[in-house]
Amino acid sequence: MSLLTQHLGSQLVDLGSALLLLTCFAIVAQRRLSACVDLFALQSVFLALTAALVAFLTGIHHIYIAAALTIVIKVVVIPRILKRVIERLNVTRELQMNVNVPTGLLVCGGLVILAFFITQPIIPLGFLLTRDSLAIALAIILIGFFTMIARKKAVTQVIGFLVMENGLFLGAAAAAYGMPLIVELGVFFDVLVGALIIGIYSHRLQDTFDSVDTSKLTTLKE
Amino acid sequence: MNSIVAPVVVFLGAPLLAVVLSLATTHARLLHGLNLATMTGLVVSEIALIQQVLAHGPQTALWGLVYIDALSAFILFIVTFIGLACSLYTWTYLDDYMARGMITPRRLSQFFVLFHGFLLAMIVATMANSLGVLWVAIEGTTLATTFLIAFFRKREGLEAGWKYLILCSVGIALALFGTVLTYYSSVRVLGDESSALNVTKLLEVAGQLDPHVLKLAFIFLFVGYGTKIGLAPMHAWVPEAYSEAPAPVTAMLAGVLETVAVYAVLRSKAIMDQALPPAFTGNLLMLFGLISFAVAALFILIQRDYKRLFAYSSVEHMGFVMVGFGVGGPIGTFGGLFHLLNHALAKALAFFAAGNVHRRYATREISEVQGLANIQPITAVAMLVAGLALVGMPPFSMFVSEVMVVSALATQSFASDTLHLGRFLTIIIAHDVRSLAIVTLFLLFAVALFGGFTYRMVSMVWGAAPDGVRRGEPWDVGHVPLILTGAALVGFGLALPEPVKGLMDRAVAILMVR
Repeated sequence: MSLLTQHLGSQLVDLGSALLLLTCFAIVAQRRLSACVDLFALQSVFLALTAALVAFLTGIHHIYIAAALTIVIKVVVIPRILKRVIERLNVTRELQMNVNVPTGLLVCGGLVILAFFITQPIIPLGFLLTRDSLAIALAIILIGFFTMIARKKAVTQVIGFLVMENGLFLGAAAAAYGMPLIVELGVFFDVLVGALIIGIYSHRLQDTFDSVDTSKLTTLKE
Repeated sequence: MNSIVAPVVVFLGAPLLAVVLSLATTHARLLHGLNLATMTGLVVSEIALIQQVLAHGPQTALWGLVYIDALSAFILFIVTFIGLACSLYTWTYLDDYMARGMITPRRLSQFFVLFHGFLLAMIVATMANSLGVLWVAIEGTTLATTFLIAFFRKREGLEAGWKYLILCSVGIALALFGTVLTYYSSVRVLGDESSALNVTKLLEVAGQLDPHVLKLAFIFLFVGYGTKIGLAPMHAWVPEAYSEAPAPVTAMLAGVLETVAVYAVLRSKAIMDQALPPAFTGNLLMLFGLISFAVAALFILIQRDYKRLFAYSSVEHMGFVMVGFGVGGPIGTFGGLFHLLNHALAKALAFFAAGNVHRRYATREISEVQGLANIQPITAVAMLVAGLALVGMPPFSMFVSEVMVVSALATQSFASDTLHLGRFLTIIIAHDVRSLAIVTLFLLFAVALFGGFTYRMVSMVWGAAPDGVRRGEPWDVGHVPLILTGAALVGFGLALPEPVKGLMDRAVAILMVR
């Protein structure tokens, strides 16, 4: 591979990672639940493209499989499950949050800086092609985590969790050129089953509590 | 000819077969029989496995996907024997609920499908030769157990199951990042993508891995699996899940699942200790262990619900185990392993007894349970034995392991010069004084625990029985596990069976690689 493709490829992978990060911010700022799901699907598209790019540039073929699975599971199946949940629950907007949007965005900015700070000592060890992706992956994981804390609705908490998964996958695909195939398949299986279970839960929670606002889950206390 | 293949195939095949067969039938007796047969098969193959490991050392099987050494064989010993006890208990427990019409045959079948799925995930986690597969299997346990916790479909159960799912999934996601980081460092050394997470490969090259990456990796792995172990401050799901789940499930969660999560931490530790500065992983374990111990002690003092009391006791004992492994050395590590075994036994016994009490009194309030000795004599003895064992009274085996850990803590001068986490402490007090202070504080909390726990157990067992609670406890198969686990708690305190001790000695050698 020529130096030029190498350089261009590295830039493109960085661009893809940055787009993933950007959609994270959009999710944090978005109050409409269905729009959050769409943004998650969009993020997964970026993830699949980035992974496919890494697969193309490195010639490691099994990353293609992971990219294809991302499209099927995270772009098509999971958003569909979540949309159905939202429809059935009849909630469209999240009005109350634990942390309001401007503060949330500020916190997320801080988290990105934190992620780069933490990974600073180990980034020079990485592959030339995808150096900064590890830091971005950690930033996405932290933002996903923060989303789970900041939001109250079960659906947005789940989206936060899925965003974390996307960050993890970016970390695996871009920073370490993909995990062993058997592990990747296992992770996808877990994510899919997890999404199904969450779908079932939100029905049961709705039936039992008349709400999927997790701040109402307060029966169990000290 | 690799001789562990047959037991390994049984280990993986039997629960899988049981899942399929449980799906196919709703006949109660058949389901219970199937469950018992599966567990017996597992116990038998575990015995074969122990013999092999003792005779020939660590082995791989099934194209290198399975790796068994003394540590995993020891964990499987706990999984299978506690699993068998749980199966026996499940029989009477679920029959009782069936008779009251609280669960339908369809739900019973679902219970066993999930139960065997849970079992399979734990076995895969313990046998996997890959840190990645280990992660996948541990996440699998979360998915399999969440509906077991919410099995009765009551409001509180759903809430507990949901919180468990979310908290553990998030925690375990952090562990996946740790796994990715481990891979990131090892793939550079090994160069081969397909085997760079294999335990056998990692052990070969562990010394060459980059310590910076591994430090970060271990922190993420430990926090992630620590959530699953239920260490403070990630323990919020423990009391809720343990108090809402059906009793046999709680016994499995507390006795077995926590043990498997500890195994995940130990496996990572054994690899990373070879590359990291001495005491890095140990100090991290010890710090979280001490925090868990202290937090649990305080919560135990204010508990009014006996199931939650036992749940916090789990947090406490897992903290204790972590302190044992954190201090390290032959005594600390052996004490930690022994304590894992004892905790599994005592906690299974405690939750079996708690399940019996709950079915009879229909309350979880300690103050409303009185005169257990008159109402359910066998359960009362079990409750007392479990309670006394859990506070570390002789002659129970927990006393022995606790003495080991505490004496290791008191004598081991943990390498304070290279200490990172406790550096601020080092500045304040010289290290002899500090180790003395920690031990003193530790024992102080232990005294608080002792008082809080014993007082409540005694108040439940004696006193005047409330009116309207049926007296008498006819003999049934559910009493067998009570007696067996109780007897093991006493017996292991007096003398450990030779094969188990041999297994533990070898596991200690694995964990003390340096």
